[in-house]
Amino acid sequence: MLQPELMELLGSATPMLIVEKIPVSEDGEFKSQLLQHKGEETENSPFEFSPQRLPFAAEDDFFEDGDIHRHMYLQNVVTSLADDVQRPTISEFRCHIAGCRQLFDTLEGYEHHYNSLHRNVCSNCKRSFPSNRLLEIHILEWHDSLFQVLAEKQCMYECLVEGCGLKLKTSKERKDHLVKLHSYPPDFRFDRPKKTGRTRGRTQQQDGDMEVSATTSVQHESSESMDFSQSADCLRPAEHDSPKTCFSYKVPSSICFGQGSVRGFRGRRKK
Amino acid sequence: MWRLKTLNHKASASARDLEDFKRNRREFEKALRQARKDRQLVSKRLLQNVLEDEEEDADNEGSMETDSTPLLPEQVREMVRGVQSGGEEKAARLSSLRKALRNTENQLTFIKTENSMHMLVGQLSGHNAQCQLEASLCLYELSLSPHAVVCQACGPAGPYLLTYLSGQSTKLKEICLYTLGNMCPENNTVREKLLAQGIISVLANCLHNQRYNLAVVEALGFALSQLLQAKDAHEKIIPEVMASGIVPCVILAVSPELAFGLGPAIESAWCLHYLVSSNLDNLILIGQGALSQCCAVLITLGGAVAQGTLLPGVELLIWPLLRCLGNLLVSGGDVMAEDSRLLVALCVFCQVYLHRYPSLSRESLWVLNNLTARSSGFCSGLLLLNLVPLVIHFLSFSKGMSSMAMRVLGNIAHHGSEYCLRLAEAGLLSALCASLKMAEPELVTLSLEVLHIMLSCSPQMIIEFRKLNGVTLLEAIGYNSEREQRVRAAYILNHLFPSLSEVRIMDIFKAMYHYSSCFSF
Repeated sequence: MLQPELMELLGSATPMLIVEKIPVSEDGEFKSQLLQHKGEETENSPFEFSPQRLPFAAEDDFFEDGDIHRHMYLQNVVTSLADDVQRPTISEFRCHIAGCRQLFDTLEGYEHHYNSLHRNVCSNCKRSFPSNRLLEIHILEWHDSLFQVLAEKQCMYECLVEGCGLKLKTSKERKDHLVKLHSYPPDFRFDRPKKTGRTRGRTQQQDGDMEVSATTSVQHESSESMDFSQSADCLRPAEHDSPKTCFSYKVPSSICFGQGSVRGFRGRRKK
Repeated sequence: MWRLKTLNHKASASARDLEDFKRNRREFEKALRQARKDRQLVSKRLLQNVLEDEEEDADNEGSMETDSTPLLPEQVREMVRGVQSGGEEKAARLSSLRKALRNTENQLTFIKTENSMHMLVGQLSGHNAQCQLEASLCLYELSLSPHAVVCQACGPAGPYLLTYLSGQSTKLKEICLYTLGNMCPENNTVREKLLAQGIISVLANCLHNQRYNLAVVEALGFALSQLLQAKDAHEKIIPEVMASGIVPCVILAVSPELAFGLGPAIESAWCLHYLVSSNLDNLILIGQGALSQCCAVLITLGGAVAQGTLLPGVELLIWPLLRCLGNLLVSGGDVMAEDSRLLVALCVFCQVYLHRYPSLSRESLWVLNNLTARSSGFCSGLLLLNLVPLVIHFLSFSKGMSSMAMRVLGNIAHHGSEYCLRLAEAGLLSALCASLKMAEPELVTLSLEVLHIMLSCSPQMIIEFRKLNGVTLLEAIGYNSEREQRVRAAYILNHLFPSLSEVRIMDIFKAMYHYSSCFSF
């Protein structure tokens, strides 16, 4: 527990006086430089700390636990049960992401929270994703106009399962693929179609509120077994498909032709 | 004789018994805490079976319950008459009476019985030593009563109890002292009478004469501590105690005879704590050696605890010693010989008691704060003995430990750049980054204070802090609801990070302005 040299020190019968003292210094050169640099004499420093010896009165709350222990001893109630050991309580701390006010008292809890909700956040729409990969796919499919253009010609919708590598033509086809081949649930949260079928509106809410359920669904996901069905006919190597059969006449919403267009850029489209 | 009596909890007890036991204890503790809040925390010393002869213990273990069944008034009268009638059976009858008086109902019945107290006092002051002892034990049982009226009824016995403290029998003295100690806090009238009867000078003489009889010292310490806790102790009792000459003996008794047990030292230390915290004559106490004695004993105990020597109840001694030392340092005391063993001992207590008695850890940190606040020697000691990482470790715990640990670190940093550099080497900057994220406002404010001191000492610190992503943390604090924190964070950013773009700083200020208009100043 204690280093051997400290044990020896403590066990010494004679006082071990502190002879070597580190030199004390007043405000150093650097500090004077800082003050000169800014040259703002008007701004007063808000700092107040100075070393002080703190007194506590006998009835102060600071002494409560010790007093209680003493009185329990007087009344013969002191015990030594093995399971009396309490875990020391950790100071609570708050997630520092602006707007997220979640409190934690374990590092694991905080790390889990942070990794689940604050990493891999789309800067466009503030949705958070469980992995960098899903984030990238999301950005590509939702916020990349080039993607929209290319998607009309090629199969661009990547299967979400890492290692599968399959690209599908539409979002719906991908979902079907996920459901049939990879046994994903049809309402997988990270595969929402962009426009239609979306049940939740744009959330300008904080990450914390929104994504807790997302986390749980991810956990749920991982517990599902991957049921590789025999429907191998679903597999279509993306490369061999002729792009021409996938042509769509729909103008992607993010493209606007001239001022007379119905879809303008008036205000940011709420997602 | 002192024994840290553990509650009778047999190893074969069922799980349900254990649960009941724990529940009872919790409720008991809750009641004590409430009593303390109401400033009514007063306890009697419960030493059942311990004051009597050892061979009786075996008999009494099992039969304690049956002996204290409530008796009818006639039965009590019978017992009283039985004693008064004299003869060889007197002592035995007194013994049965004593056992009966363990029951609170019987206590009430007894004092209502005619001539009962007169009989007891008579036996107490009689010539039969055995009867004397039994009578005193009866009074002891009565003094344990939760009913104030019972203690009051014992009033007439007061002068006799005091008289026998100057007598010959040490066993009798012990019992009288515990009885007096139980009677003192009960009721103003009883206490006033005892004071008028000269209890303090009697105690002073007794302690002086009996200082080598540790059982008596323990009992006396208890009685004195009860007096010192009285609500009006400031006005009359403490000045009289200080004048009586008893204090130097109490200070000496604080040093434990480890072979005997810690009882006498515990009681004396609590007496000293009550004296010190009254803040009336602390310089005198320091002059009488209280401070140096506390240091010496803490060092001894630190060594024992560090080696894992089993000393049951040692925390009961450490607690009051810490408090005496902490408060004496405020009263103008100084540890003249800066002994590094004291630092190590305090750190040992912090560490060892973290799980079991976190308040004890916190009080150790408090003493460390008071030591380091005005001593470059102790600050150097912490650094050179490599104890700073331990202090930093306490920044993660709640219940006031983190703030107190941060104060200690602030005390060290305050001594100048050489200290700050060594603190940085011990990992303080990254610890500050962690503590800046904590929810406790006091801790964050203190962290900013210490950070400011650290960063002001050298450009290297600023570079290191930036590498640890500290600037982002400070900016985040700009969005915090606590004004004290925003103001400090802004000052640091403004003054110590001039390379931050002006635009960025303006953004931060704008955010702060916005937030400050939302929250009150």
